[in-house]
Amino acid sequence: MTDLARALQEPWPDLRMQREGVSLGMWFFLASEVLFFAALFCSYAIYRSYNPEAFRIAGAHTKVIYGSINTVLLLTSSLTMTVALRAATAQLRRVTLICLGITVALGLAFLITKGLEYHDDIEEHLVPGTGFPLSPPATQIFWGLYWIMTGIHAIHLSAGVVVVIAVMIIFGRRIIPVQGSTMEGVAIYWHFVDSVWIFLYPLIYLAGRA
Amino acid sequence: MSNGGSDMRSLWRGPLLAWIVLMGLFAISLGSAYIPLGHGNVAVNLLIAAVMLAVLATFLMDLKNAKSLVRIVAMAGLFWIMMMFSLTFSDYLTRW
Repeated sequence: MTDLARALQEPWPDLRMQREGVSLGMWFFLASEVLFFAALFCSYAIYRSYNPEAFRIAGAHTKVIYGSINTVLLLTSSLTMTVALRAATAQLRRVTLICLGITVALGLAFLITKGLEYHDDIEEHLVPGTGFPLSPPATQIFWGLYWIMTGIHAIHLSAGVVVVIAVMIIFGRRIIPVQGSTMEGVAIYWHFVDSVWIFLYPLIYLAGRA
Repeated sequence: MSNGGSDMRSLWRGPLLAWIVLMGLFAISLGSAYIPLGHGNVAVNLLIAAVMLAVLATFLMDLKNAKSLVRIVAMAGLFWIMMMFSLTFSDYLTRW
Protein backbone atom coordinates (compact mmCIF):
# COMPACT_ATOMS: atom_id res chain seq x y z
CA MET A 1 0.00 0.00 0.00
CA THR A 2 1.43 3.40 -0.97
CA ASP A 3 1.85 6.29 1.46
CA LEU A 4 -0.88 8.17 -0.36
CA ALA A 5 -3.36 5.28 -0.05
CA ARG A 6 -2.61 4.97 3.68
CA ALA A 7 -3.00 8.71 4.23
CA LEU A 8 -6.36 8.93 2.49
CA GLN A 9 -9.43 8.10 4.62
CA GLU A 10 -13.01 7.53 3.57
CA PRO A 11 -15.11 9.34 2.39
CA TRP A 12 -12.57 11.77 0.92
CA PRO A 13 -11.72 11.55 -2.80
CA ASP A 14 -8.33 13.25 -2.34
CA LEU A 15 -5.95 14.50 0.36
CA ARG A 16 -6.61 18.18 -0.29
CA MET A 17 -10.32 17.79 0.53
CA GLN A 18 -9.50 15.56 3.51
CA ARG A 19 -7.19 18.27 4.92
CA GLU A 20 -9.89 20.89 4.41
CA GLY A 21 -12.38 18.64 6.22
CA VAL A 22 -10.05 18.23 9.21
CA SER A 23 -9.33 21.96 9.22
CA LEU A 24 -13.03 22.83 9.17
CA GLY A 25 -13.79 20.35 11.98
CA MET A 26 -10.99 21.76 14.13
CA TRP A 27 -12.18 25.34 13.55
CA PHE A 28 -15.69 24.31 14.66
CA PHE A 29 -14.21 22.87 17.86
CA LEU A 30 -12.12 26.00 18.38
CA ALA A 31 -15.15 28.26 17.91
CA SER A 32 -16.62 26.56 21.00
CA GLU A 33 -13.28 26.87 22.81
CA VAL A 34 -13.21 30.57 21.94
CA LEU A 35 -16.51 31.04 23.78
CA PHE A 36 -15.23 29.06 26.76
CA PHE A 37 -12.23 31.40 27.13
CA ALA A 38 -14.37 34.43 26.21
CA ALA A 39 -16.48 33.87 29.34
CA LEU A 40 -13.31 34.12 31.43
CA PHE A 41 -12.08 37.21 29.58
CA CYS A 42 -15.52 38.76 30.00
CA SER A 43 -15.42 38.11 33.77
CA TYR A 44 -11.99 39.73 33.86
CA ALA A 45 -13.27 42.77 31.95
CA ILE A 46 -16.27 43.23 34.25
CA TYR A 47 -14.26 42.96 37.47
CA ARG A 48 -11.50 45.18 36.11
CA SER A 49 -14.01 47.85 35.06
CA TYR A 50 -15.42 47.81 38.62
CA ASN A 51 -12.03 47.62 40.40
CA PRO A 52 -9.45 49.37 38.20
CA GLU A 53 -7.13 50.41 41.05
CA ALA A 54 -7.19 46.98 42.72
CA PHE A 55 -6.34 45.32 39.37
CA ARG A 56 -3.48 47.78 38.85
CA ILE A 57 -2.03 46.99 42.29
CA ALA A 58 -2.55 43.24 41.89
CA GLY A 59 -1.18 43.18 38.32
CA ALA A 60 2.05 44.84 39.45
CA HIS A 61 2.78 41.71 41.53
CA THR A 62 2.74 39.28 38.58
CA LYS A 63 6.16 38.13 37.35
CA VAL A 64 6.55 39.92 34.03
CA ILE A 65 9.89 38.23 33.31
CA TYR A 66 8.31 34.74 33.42
CA GLY A 67 5.35 35.93 31.34
CA SER A 68 7.61 37.52 28.73
CA ILE A 69 9.87 34.45 28.45
CA ASN A 70 6.77 32.31 28.00
CA THR A 71 5.42 34.63 25.30
CA VAL A 72 8.65 34.26 23.32
CA LEU A 73 8.60 30.48 23.82
CA LEU A 74 5.01 30.13 22.63
CA LEU A 75 5.36 32.43 19.62
CA THR A 76 8.49 30.52 18.59
CA SER A 77 6.68 27.20 19.01
CA SER A 78 4.00 28.48 16.61
CA LEU A 79 6.78 29.16 14.07
CA THR A 80 8.18 25.61 14.36
CA MET A 81 4.67 24.13 14.27
CA THR A 82 3.90 26.01 11.05
CA VAL A 83 7.13 24.77 9.46
CA ALA A 84 6.29 21.23 10.64
CA LEU A 85 2.92 21.45 8.87
CA ARG A 86 4.46 22.83 5.67
CA ALA A 87 7.14 20.14 5.76
CA ALA A 88 4.49 17.45 6.28
CA THR A 89 2.49 18.70 3.29
CA ALA A 90 5.71 18.63 1.23
CA GLN A 91 6.28 15.03 2.45
CA LEU A 92 9.51 15.98 4.24
CA ARG A 93 9.17 13.44 7.05
CA ARG A 94 12.48 14.13 8.82
CA VAL A 95 12.00 17.91 8.87
CA THR A 96 8.44 17.40 10.14
CA LEU A 97 9.64 15.25 13.03
CA ILE A 98 12.50 17.64 13.93
CA CYS A 99 10.17 20.66 13.95
CA LEU A 100 7.57 18.78 16.01
CA GLY A 101 10.34 17.83 18.46
CA ILE A 102 11.40 21.47 18.83
CA THR A 103 7.74 22.47 19.28
CA VAL A 104 7.31 19.95 22.11
CA ALA A 105 10.55 21.16 23.72
CA LEU A 106 9.33 24.76 23.60
CA GLY A 107 5.94 23.71 25.01
CA LEU A 108 7.63 21.86 27.87
CA ALA A 109 9.92 24.86 28.49
CA PHE A 110 6.77 27.00 28.77
CA LEU A 111 5.26 24.63 31.34
CA ILE A 112 8.50 24.48 33.37
CA THR A 113 8.71 28.30 33.38
CA LYS A 114 5.07 28.43 34.43
CA GLY A 115 5.82 25.97 37.25
CA LEU A 116 8.67 28.18 38.49
CA GLU A 117 6.37 31.18 38.37
CA TYR A 118 3.63 29.37 40.30
CA HIS A 119 6.24 28.36 42.89
CA ASP A 120 7.29 32.00 43.39
CA ASP A 121 3.63 33.12 43.55
CA ILE A 122 2.81 30.53 46.21
CA GLU A 123 5.92 31.50 48.22
CA GLU A 124 4.60 35.08 48.24
CA HIS A 125 1.17 33.78 49.37
CA LEU A 126 -0.49 35.24 46.27
CA VAL A 127 -3.35 32.76 46.52
CA PRO A 128 -6.78 34.21 47.37
CA GLY A 129 -7.87 33.34 50.90
CA THR A 130 -6.54 33.70 54.44
CA GLY A 131 -3.17 35.47 54.61
CA PHE A 132 -3.41 37.08 51.18
CA PRO A 133 -0.85 39.90 51.40
CA LEU A 134 -2.36 42.58 49.13
CA SER A 135 -5.07 45.15 49.69
CA PRO A 136 -7.73 46.27 48.84
CA PRO A 137 -9.65 42.96 49.03
CA ALA A 138 -10.57 43.16 45.32
CA THR A 139 -6.93 42.34 44.48
CA GLN A 140 -7.93 38.77 45.33
CA ILE A 141 -10.35 38.80 42.39
CA PHE A 142 -7.45 39.51 40.03
CA TRP A 143 -5.38 36.72 41.53
CA GLY A 144 -8.34 34.33 41.47
CA LEU A 145 -8.70 35.01 37.75
CA TYR A 146 -4.92 34.71 37.32
CA TRP A 147 -4.88 31.16 38.70
CA ILE A 148 -7.99 30.07 36.79
CA MET A 149 -7.07 31.60 33.42
CA THR A 150 -3.38 30.68 33.36
CA GLY A 151 -4.19 27.27 34.86
CA ILE A 152 -6.76 26.42 32.20
CA HIS A 153 -4.40 27.69 29.52
CA ALA A 154 -1.61 25.47 30.91
CA ILE A 155 -3.98 22.47 30.84
CA HIS A 156 -4.72 23.21 27.17
CA LEU A 157 -1.02 23.49 26.40
CA SER A 158 -0.29 20.24 28.27
CA ALA A 159 -2.94 18.52 26.14
CA GLY A 160 -1.26 19.98 23.04
CA VAL A 161 2.14 18.66 24.12
CA VAL A 162 0.69 15.16 24.69
CA VAL A 163 -1.03 15.21 21.30
CA VAL A 164 2.13 16.35 19.49
CA ILE A 165 4.19 13.61 21.18
CA ALA A 166 1.53 11.05 20.17
CA VAL A 167 1.63 12.32 16.58
CA MET A 168 5.45 12.10 16.57
CA ILE A 169 5.22 8.46 17.66
CA ILE A 170 2.62 7.74 14.95
CA PHE A 171 4.78 9.40 12.29
CA GLY A 172 7.98 7.86 13.68
CA ARG A 173 6.52 4.33 13.43
CA ARG A 174 5.10 5.17 9.98
CA ILE A 175 1.59 4.18 11.13
CA ILE A 176 0.26 7.23 9.24
CA PRO A 177 2.34 9.09 6.63
CA VAL A 178 3.16 12.72 7.45
CA GLN A 179 1.36 14.11 4.41
CA GLY A 180 -2.04 12.95 5.72
CA SER A 181 -4.47 15.33 7.38
CA THR A 182 -3.29 14.69 10.97
CA MET A 183 -0.91 17.65 11.06
CA GLU A 184 -3.62 20.04 9.92
CA GLY A 185 -5.72 19.61 13.07
CA VAL A 186 -2.74 19.48 15.42
CA ALA A 187 -1.24 22.71 14.05
CA ILE A 188 -4.49 24.70 14.24
CA TYR A 189 -5.06 23.60 17.85
CA TRP A 190 -1.49 24.55 18.82
CA HIS A 191 -1.83 28.01 17.30
CA PHE A 192 -5.13 28.48 19.13
CA VAL A 193 -3.43 27.87 22.50
CA ASP A 194 -0.83 30.45 21.44
CA SER A 195 -3.52 32.97 20.46
CA VAL A 196 -5.19 32.70 23.90
CA TRP A 197 -1.83 33.51 25.49
CA ILE A 198 -1.44 36.57 23.24
CA PHE A 199 -4.39 38.10 25.12
CA LEU A 200 -3.59 36.66 28.56
CA TYR A 201 -0.11 38.19 28.50
CA PRO A 202 -1.10 41.90 28.40
CA LEU A 203 -4.11 41.46 30.69
CA ILE A 204 -2.25 39.50 33.36
CA TYR A 205 1.37 40.63 33.15
CA LEU A 206 1.25 44.16 31.75
CA ALA A 207 -1.59 45.49 33.95
CA GLY A 208 -0.21 47.96 36.44
CA ARG A 209 3.31 48.33 35.00
CA ALA A 210 3.16 52.05 34.17
CA MET B 1 21.57 19.56 -2.38
CA SER B 2 20.77 22.98 -3.73
CA ASN B 3 17.16 21.84 -4.18
CA GLY B 4 17.09 20.80 -0.54
CA GLY B 5 18.37 24.24 0.49
CA SER B 6 15.77 25.89 -1.71
CA ASP B 7 13.06 23.67 -0.15
CA MET B 8 14.15 24.65 3.33
CA ARG B 9 14.19 28.34 2.46
CA SER B 10 10.67 28.20 1.04
CA LEU B 11 9.49 26.27 4.13
CA TRP B 12 10.85 28.87 6.54
CA ARG B 13 10.63 32.21 4.70
CA GLY B 14 6.95 33.12 5.20
CA PRO B 15 6.56 31.77 8.76
CA LEU B 16 9.86 33.35 9.82
CA LEU B 17 8.74 36.74 8.55
CA ALA B 18 5.46 36.42 10.50
CA TRP B 19 7.44 35.38 13.61
CA ILE B 20 9.70 38.47 13.31
CA VAL B 21 6.61 40.70 13.08
CA LEU B 22 5.09 38.96 16.13
CA MET B 23 8.30 39.41 18.11
CA GLY B 24 8.39 43.11 17.17
CA LEU B 25 4.77 43.57 18.28
CA PHE B 26 5.48 41.71 21.52
CA ALA B 27 8.43 44.04 22.22
CA ILE B 28 6.29 47.13 21.52
CA SER B 29 3.55 45.79 23.80
CA LEU B 30 5.99 45.14 26.66
CA GLY B 31 7.74 48.51 26.21
CA SER B 32 4.51 50.52 25.97
CA ALA B 33 3.23 49.00 29.23
CA TYR B 34 5.87 51.02 31.12
CA ILE B 35 4.83 54.35 29.56
CA PRO B 36 2.17 56.01 31.75
CA LEU B 37 -0.88 56.40 29.48
CA GLY B 38 -3.62 55.87 32.08
CA HIS B 39 -6.44 53.85 30.52
CA GLY B 40 -4.54 54.13 27.23
CA ASN B 41 -2.13 51.38 28.36
CA VAL B 42 -4.68 48.61 28.27
CA ALA B 43 -6.15 49.96 25.01
CA VAL B 44 -2.71 49.96 23.33
CA ASN B 45 -1.90 46.50 24.69
CA LEU B 46 -5.20 45.03 23.50
CA LEU B 47 -4.87 46.68 20.10
CA ILE B 48 -1.40 45.15 19.69
CA ALA B 49 -2.74 41.77 20.85
CA ALA B 50 -5.50 42.00 18.21
CA VAL B 51 -2.92 42.73 15.49
CA MET B 52 -0.79 39.82 16.75
CA LEU B 53 -3.84 37.54 16.57
CA ALA B 54 -4.53 38.72 13.01
CA VAL B 55 -0.91 37.98 11.97
CA LEU B 56 -1.01 34.56 13.66
CA ALA B 57 -4.36 33.59 12.15
CA THR B 58 -3.60 34.90 8.67
CA PHE B 59 -0.05 33.69 8.16
CA LEU B 60 0.66 30.91 10.67
CA MET B 61 -2.84 29.38 10.85
CA ASP B 62 -2.92 30.01 7.10
CA LEU B 63 -6.41 31.52 6.95
CA LYS B 64 -5.22 33.56 3.95
CA ASN B 65 -5.24 30.36 1.87
CA ALA B 66 -8.26 28.77 3.58
CA LYS B 67 -11.63 28.15 1.92
CA SER B 68 -14.38 30.70 2.56
CA LEU B 69 -16.30 28.20 4.70
CA VAL B 70 -13.31 27.73 7.02
CA ARG B 71 -12.87 31.50 7.30
CA ILE B 72 -16.55 31.95 8.14
CA VAL B 73 -16.37 29.34 10.93
CA ALA B 74 -13.19 30.97 12.27
CA MET B 75 -14.90 34.38 12.25
CA ALA B 76 -18.01 32.92 13.95
CA GLY B 77 -16.06 32.57 17.22
CA LEU B 78 -15.08 36.25 17.11
CA PHE B 79 -18.61 37.29 16.19
CA TRP B 80 -20.09 35.51 19.23
CA ILE B 81 -17.40 37.00 21.48
CA MET B 82 -18.53 40.44 20.31
CA MET B 83 -22.14 39.49 21.08
CA MET B 84 -21.16 38.21 24.54
CA PHE B 85 -19.24 41.38 25.41
CA SER B 86 -21.86 43.71 23.94
CA LEU B 87 -24.79 42.13 25.78
CA THR B 88 -22.87 41.76 29.05
CA PHE B 89 -21.60 45.32 29.10
CA SER B 90 -24.92 46.75 27.96
CA ASP B 91 -26.01 45.63 31.42
CA TYR B 92 -22.94 46.32 33.59
CA LEU B 93 -22.06 49.72 32.09
CA THR B 94 -25.62 51.03 32.40
CA ARG B 95 -26.12 50.27 36.12
CA TRP B 96 -26.39 53.48 38.06
